[in-house]
Amino acid sequence: MVASSCSSAPESGKFAREEVGNDGFLARHNGQIFAEGRSFSGNERDKLFLNDGAGSFLDLSDLSGADSPNDGRAVIAFDADDDGDVDLFVHETQRERHAMYRNDLGTAPGFVKVKLRATTGNAEAIGAQVEVVAGDRKVSQVLSRGAGFISCQAPELIFGLGGAPAATVTVRWPGGAVEAFGEVTLGARALLVEGAGKAEAYGAAPRPLPDPKPRGLLVSVGDRIAPFEVLDAAGAPVLIDPAATGERVALNLWASYCAPCVAELPLLEEWDAAEDMRVIAVSVDAPSDRARALELLGQRAPALGVHLAGDPRPGVRTIQDVVDLARLPLPTTLMLSPDGTVEEILRGPVELR
Amino acid sequence: MPPRPNAPLSTTALALSLALALAWTPGCGGDPGEAGAPTESVSGEGIAPGAPATSLELPGEIASPDRPVTSVEAVEDETEALADSLIEFAEVLRKRQFDEAREWFSPELVAHAAIGHAEASRAALPLGVERIKYDVGASSGVGRDGFIDSLRVLLGEWRSVDSMLWKVKGASFQRGRSRWGRLDLKIHITGVDASGGMVSVHGRGDARVTRTRGRFLLDQLLLHKWEVERRAAPIFTEVAASTGLAHTWARFGTDANNSFHWNGAAAGDVDGDGDWDLFVPSDDQNFLYIAQPDGTWTDEADERGVGSPDSGTGAVFFDCDNDGDQDLMVGHTGWPLAGGKMGGERCRIFLNDGAGQFADAPGGPGLQEPFVAYTLTVLDFDGDGWLDVHVCGYGRVDVEHNNSWTEASNGSPNGLLRNLGTDEDGAFLGFENVAAAAGIEDVRWSYAAASADVDLDGDADLYVANDYGSNRLWINQGDGTFVDGSEAQGVVDKGSGMGASFGDLTGDGSLDLYVSNMSSTAGSRILGRLTEDIDAETHALLKKLAAGNSIFTREGDGFARTPGEQGGIGASWAWSPALFDVDLDGDLDVFCTNGFVTGELAFDT
Repeated sequence: MVASSCSSAPESGKFAREEVGNDGFLARHNGQIFAEGRSFSGNERDKLFLNDGAGSFLDLSDLSGADSPNDGRAVIAFDADDDGDVDLFVHETQRERHAMYRNDLGTAPGFVKVKLRATTGNAEAIGAQVEVVAGDRKVSQVLSRGAGFISCQAPELIFGLGGAPAATVTVRWPGGAVEAFGEVTLGARALLVEGAGKAEAYGAAPRPLPDPKPRGLLVSVGDRIAPFEVLDAAGAPVLIDPAATGERVALNLWASYCAPCVAELPLLEEWDAAEDMRVIAVSVDAPSDRARALELLGQRAPALGVHLAGDPRPGVRTIQDVVDLARLPLPTTLMLSPDGTVEEILRGPVELR
Repeated sequence: MPPRPNAPLSTTALALSLALALAWTPGCGGDPGEAGAPTESVSGEGIAPGAPATSLELPGEIASPDRPVTSVEAVEDETEALADSLIEFAEVLRKRQFDEAREWFSPELVAHAAIGHAEASRAALPLGVERIKYDVGASSGVGRDGFIDSLRVLLGEWRSVDSMLWKVKGASFQRGRSRWGRLDLKIHITGVDASGGMVSVHGRGDARVTRTRGRFLLDQLLLHKWEVERRAAPIFTEVAASTGLAHTWARFGTDANNSFHWNGAAAGDVDGDGDWDLFVPSDDQNFLYIAQPDGTWTDEADERGVGSPDSGTGAVFFDCDNDGDQDLMVGHTGWPLAGGKMGGERCRIFLNDGAGQFADAPGGPGLQEPFVAYTLTVLDFDGDGWLDVHVCGYGRVDVEHNNSWTEASNGSPNGLLRNLGTDEDGAFLGFENVAAAAGIEDVRWSYAAASADVDLDGDADLYVANDYGSNRLWINQGDGTFVDGSEAQGVVDKGSGMGASFGDLTGDGSLDLYVSNMSSTAGSRILGRLTEDIDAETHALLKKLAAGNSIFTREGDGFARTPGEQGGIGASWAWSPALFDVDLDGDLDVFCTNGFVTGELAFDT
């Protein structure tokens, strides 16, 4: 379905044909609302439904870590790192367009992976149906290339064993022949060749996916923080150069609404009083909450300097070139060397580390 | 390392300092530093500390208008204005701008607080998920300051608030000059809590709004559902940036990203090294991500010959010339020509040289034809060992409306690209389009298809999901033709079909069918606005549309729709379903992409 903000229904049997150039009517009718930044069925996040094994599903989307708001379209469910569980690649419509979700549940319940080669029909065995029985569980999958919505899955099927030590595998090949491959054991990577009657092992190629970059940060450990602009208590721009102090710097991002942030302000003040250390605590509060931030700072850490995050300004480097305020978990503290290089990133309350 | 404090704060001390910092004083100003009575546990659960010390009496129920506005249009206008206002409010609250959030509430507000309710039940769900239900009915009320402060305590500890929705599920308004209304309100909050765990809050309640100076303010809020779900860690970790897959692009709607056709993705081992490479067509550029041993991918689209043309939709890897490597077919949608005619665009086939180097091949007569292509589906429909491709043809959206919202028949034709094999020298002959002869040159607005041997007779059948109409189950007759089995097998699924996948969801060994739909709010709203007089048939359709996705389980010679109570279908504007076993427990779970366009302003349409 393509969005249509026009209220007139097309008359049945008639085409609402228009003479148009490269700019179709959709662009005219709907482009404008999106150009303005409006949503249409927006904030509807990707869904994960967990099968309870008895025909019902539990909606785990909120807790999945894979519920992006970036309007996903295609999805590929495949074992990206060859660790035996299923990871996801999602092609999204906007912003961070390629999402790679590493499955972190682990493979304790056990798995078998299956690749197929047919000898009578199409060699890739596209359309073959594989049935796996493990303990009291049975499940079938079809080898498909091109399904879902504009999505082409990898030609490898992964079956969970649910704690069973082994599974029996049966293939219905394209053409209809049914072939039993007997038992395969937990962790097996089984190449099933039509007519062989017995699984052949194929090699594992594990390639662990690297851990993510810290969320909400536009810099990494090892990067040097160039001077950036913040606002002082009166709202006037102030340039901060972390390297100018010649001391180590704790660059702390906090907000008045963030209880752990507020709780650690006195500690930051203590750090700032240390001989070889400066603390730059930047409140990322919205303008309407700045008064509250100043008040809390005055009560909890009166000796700390006042720094407020301003709006991004064209041509000016601000705190928003260091952090992505929309995604940054709070509190976050960047520990910088005397030359302004990020040495360590502290997430969460600093005193609890 | 920086100096560390000698005596780190204990959790208790932290809790105390939090309580003091927040000066949680229910029912009064919550002035920081003011001597408030800290509640017993602000930390820990963080959600439900002790009941507020001062309380207000709540009405037994929210009154319904006795002289309601009856014009459907007027109600819809008011509702939409309110819904937009609440979207704006939710965004302010998501950013935890609590002082600004006050402006949506009357000074006379009486409401259930967001915290402080007695626990009604605590359930351990699979995968370590905990669900706590609160007995909101037993709680007394708080005023505006108390309510805002309760939100502050609830959300203030979280590391991030990721999603905040306050949705109007129903509304009625009192006629007259002092307008007020009664709302059915749904609240949904997700985020990461203080300990790094995933948390979500589900609330449902009734509210009263009163128009004051041209603006609706909430003055009563009675919750009847308040549930919190938690998991110590997310199931998935997003690693695009660290694996070389990240691609940041403009927001949808800007000049750089405003095309209403959608780009797919395909996985395959293009260089034969045993790991999975990805082809990702885009409007701006194509990506061929080659998997590296260190767990990253590198984009080699240009070097390997698949950098252009861009703007592809569906893409599939398969061995079209039976030489043992993965070739690539990419669909395109096309462009409007002068005079209002649609040019369409041909599908492309890129032949792999065996080492992962691709060449754009002519592909025979079938690849000279224009399509408005979306999902491409590989199948050997004639069982000759050469893989064929079904092409979903959508509508010519740039020049022509769907001619019906419920059974559109002016989509571009679907294609069935029969593989012509190779000549005696081994040169690939390409494809010819035999859709008409095969009886599946359908002109519905087809978005997606999936293939499997549904009737277990040895040949490949095909299910096609269509927008603005009925879906089709094409049963292969084994002689190169198909007949429509969708009615007989119960899988018409009228509505706005977006995607389809086969898999055994019931654990009986037979393949079930999962169909994604554009549904729920969006579907009902769009169709509901079309006409004043809704006939019975349209009403039934609306009801079906509001049901969400569809699960059809294989029963005998046909399929049976799984009742909605069994879950698994509650998406909104759903796109691609993938069926796989996320937790390796021996059954197939469902992931489904979802959402149309999420803009940056707090307005939805």
